[in-house]
Amino acid sequence: MCGIIGYIGDKPAQPILLNCLRRLEYRGYDSCGIAVAAGSIGVYKDAVRVAELAKVAPRLNGTAGIGHTRWATHGEPSQVNAHPHLDCSGKIAVVHNGVINNFQRLKRELTAEGHSFVSETDTEVISHLIEKYYDGNLEKAVEAALSDIDGSYAIIVLVAGESKLVAARKDSPLIIGVSDRENFIASDVPAILDYTNRVIYLEEGDIGVVTKDNVKIRRYGAEVVGEEHKILWSVEDAQKGGYEHFMLKEIHEQPKVIRDTLGEYISAAETEVKLAMMTEANLEGMLIVACGTSYHAALVGKYIVEELVGIPVRSELACEFTYRHQIPAGTAAIVVTQSGETADTLKAMKRLKEGGCQVVAITNVVGSTASRIADQTVYTRAGPEISVAATKSFTAQLMVLYWLALSYSRVDIRQVDNLTMGLRQLPEKVQQVLDNEDKIRQYASYLSRYENVFFISRGINYPVALEGALKLKEISYIHAEGYAAGELKHGPFALLGANTPVIAIVAQDNTYETMLTNIKEVKARGSPLMALAEEGDEAIGELADSVITVPRVDAIFSPVVNTVALQLLAYYTAQQRGCPIDFPRNLAKSVTVE
Amino acid sequence: MKQAVILAAGEGQRLRPFTATRPKVMLSIADKPILQYVVEALAQNGIRNLVIVIGYRREEVFDYMGSGERFGVDITYITQEKQLGTAHALAQAKGVTEDEFLVLPGDNLIEADAIAQFVAVKPEAVLVKRVDNPARYGVVTIAKGMVKGIVEKPKEAGSNVVSTGTYAFSKQIFDFIEPELDIPDVLNNMIAQGKHLRARETDGTWLDVVYPWDILSLNGAVLRQIQANLGGIMETGVSVKGLVSVGKDTVIRSNSYIVGPVVIGDNCDIGPNVCILPATSVGDNVVISPFTEIKNSVIGSDVNIGPGCIIQDSVIDKGCVIKGHFTACSGQADVKVDDEHHMVNLGAMLGEGCSLGNSVTAQPGVIVGNHSQVQALKLISGRLPDRSLVV
Repeated sequence: MCGIIGYIGDKPAQPILLNCLRRLEYRGYDSCGIAVAAGSIGVYKDAVRVAELAKVAPRLNGTAGIGHTRWATHGEPSQVNAHPHLDCSGKIAVVHNGVINNFQRLKRELTAEGHSFVSETDTEVISHLIEKYYDGNLEKAVEAALSDIDGSYAIIVLVAGESKLVAARKDSPLIIGVSDRENFIASDVPAILDYTNRVIYLEEGDIGVVTKDNVKIRRYGAEVVGEEHKILWSVEDAQKGGYEHFMLKEIHEQPKVIRDTLGEYISAAETEVKLAMMTEANLEGMLIVACGTSYHAALVGKYIVEELVGIPVRSELACEFTYRHQIPAGTAAIVVTQSGETADTLKAMKRLKEGGCQVVAITNVVGSTASRIADQTVYTRAGPEISVAATKSFTAQLMVLYWLALSYSRVDIRQVDNLTMGLRQLPEKVQQVLDNEDKIRQYASYLSRYENVFFISRGINYPVALEGALKLKEISYIHAEGYAAGELKHGPFALLGANTPVIAIVAQDNTYETMLTNIKEVKARGSPLMALAEEGDEAIGELADSVITVPRVDAIFSPVVNTVALQLLAYYTAQQRGCPIDFPRNLAKSVTVE
Repeated sequence: MKQAVILAAGEGQRLRPFTATRPKVMLSIADKPILQYVVEALAQNGIRNLVIVIGYRREEVFDYMGSGERFGVDITYITQEKQLGTAHALAQAKGVTEDEFLVLPGDNLIEADAIAQFVAVKPEAVLVKRVDNPARYGVVTIAKGMVKGIVEKPKEAGSNVVSTGTYAFSKQIFDFIEPELDIPDVLNNMIAQGKHLRARETDGTWLDVVYPWDILSLNGAVLRQIQANLGGIMETGVSVKGLVSVGKDTVIRSNSYIVGPVVIGDNCDIGPNVCILPATSVGDNVVISPFTEIKNSVIGSDVNIGPGCIIQDSVIDKGCVIKGHFTACSGQADVKVDDEHHMVNLGAMLGEGCSLGNSVTAQPGVIVGNHSQVQALKLISGRLPDRSLVV
């Protein structure tokens, strides 16, 4: 999904385009660019986010321009592939959202006719096609170019010397924003709501010619009057699809993310091994390196792989990996990073490569730096994650780790069958956790009154305790510590008491009895105790002050349902405390400095 | 008319267990929620500014519809905190409506042709339709194209013309709304005060779900109009006849036999040797094991069906796990809903997340509550509440 924008009016176009692009960033943000016309066309674009582009872009003069923000699903985000794309003369600039199916053939024909291409994108054929047909009538040229194209598109065309923008759509969204002495064209309404709330929706096949004072629309060759709609809603609503925050929207997307990852890697693929560099024979150990929430996924991965594959696994913090003296040569190394740009993780990758390791990257961003350094990349299909607090990307990372472990598993066929079926049930189990939201919200309003909280667990859910604490502290600003339940008595006991609630994550596995003992110890120190436990666990109900239940799943999948419950808990606690949930203080979505 | 208000806040209690975690508008018919049919019908008629009034389990609507972009519309959500009636629901949208707008029930399946003429009508107006069973609906008396009155669920219907719940209103409607009323009451008051209400008749597709088994008849009706489309992977020896749609990444294994109309979602694993017979919908991420026969049924997403099952005229909601040799044969059954008895031909109705052991047999018309568990070799019948344990 990409976002496009066009502006024509009396004001300098550049700041307006950049502001609109920021509004479109939820549609994707791996690269962006703008083109502004004033006699000639100035273009500035790069594989960076809009805020960074805004900082470094030179001042482009002109009161008409176009812009684009991109989320690649195929092909690499790079400066040359970023939009806008120019023709040979540099006088025609195009931004495009969609896919052109016949671009290979068109590109060959245009190349044969003498056009020279600089990018690998399908979009570039549009600018060259328009160049081919342009004889002073831009509208006709665009129409002719589009008749050659098979595919989906929303495009905006800017031509040097023309005081108009031409827009067209087919199977991709496009609207025109109408104002006084200026007009806009955009992928969606929120992009332009800072400037106008008068909107014309373009229909399939429409071609719009927009000047600063006028909007003309051609439909099936005839001119039609575009109906103006007045938009009464605010910017935030639409992008968040009804939710108050991106974080809650993204938490709710998790059943779909799990289904998408299953579809990509598990169901049709027959759990066939796809990592060329890791073979059954050479797989003697594994190293997983990551930061933050991804590190917690790596820690869960350790338990998953050790149980299913039966090899020793080390999960390491990327920032500390620098100081390790030994790099285990020959070990399969995996790095986990949502953005693919985390500085510490990239540094660790380089060190691993220098040490002779083959590196697999698990990342959410196609073409990110991590994917370029890695020998092989496995993409999580979580889609753009806007909220600073990672939620759906964590779940998607776990799904990839389950798939990896199952691909190499050395356990009984019966267990593999059970686990495969268990994986397929996970979307529904996570949905059940979401359906239990009201219960979690009630407990959150209680928790929000405290300033210190401990999260404890054992075994595969120990990393879940860490992740639960991280989510709570980063968005609600409550001081939270995740602890191995057995470590609590080595110090933190001194902090327990009526003002320090403890949240115990209790799974039905070999940790269960010991966890009950630990809970009793905590209770004896007077801390209010909340247990996150499997439904039907009656013993817990008698011990804990409150219980949030999660649906029954195989213990190896319990981190998924437990984490989703703790994400909701952190979200509603922060909401109760009135925190700016999507953009917590002092934090950035991807940490690109060491 | 450029704007429409869709009422989507209600639960649909008579449809339990299928509405325990979703509002009625999100019931899936031929692999799409009812609300999507309404939204698509409006978009096809050029109405893209939509206000959706949500309430009960509103997250289900958010998660599926989002901003509306996927369906080519812009959605504004308005929450009705308490479901106090349809007029109250409409009143919530007062602040965001234009001078003239359509109102549609989000839980009635309507197709583009049914409202093609109506979108140009002058308010106030109601879209009516002739039906076979008018006593279930609001029966409309009309004289010279104007509505004289609407009687909800009359004991004896004087006519077979009923309200589809689809209206064209101007802002003056808000002057007549009192809380805790339904829209027909408001309209009767309005008529009594001398205002005019036009009636426009349609013969397009308009279908309502009232009882759980209506899901099957709607499913059958809608499936006849699907687009055939074979995505996914077909192994050798798979027979496909009639209108069949298969989603992406789905695998249909050897010697499976599929007779349309049938729709199968994404990421399913079906067969080998599975038989899927007409008027069946299968959701996403569903596993159907060898030697199972499914006929005229609706299977939700994330369902796992074991080998050797017979499933006829049944609704299996999302997330059910059914082991081998489950039998849900169709037969005539006396089903009780809200103290009313209904004689219907039915297999089994399974709520979401149920788990059935090997060789369970369902008596025709059984309704099993959500998250129930049935042990192997049991015979189930009647109505089981949510979270039942059959041992």
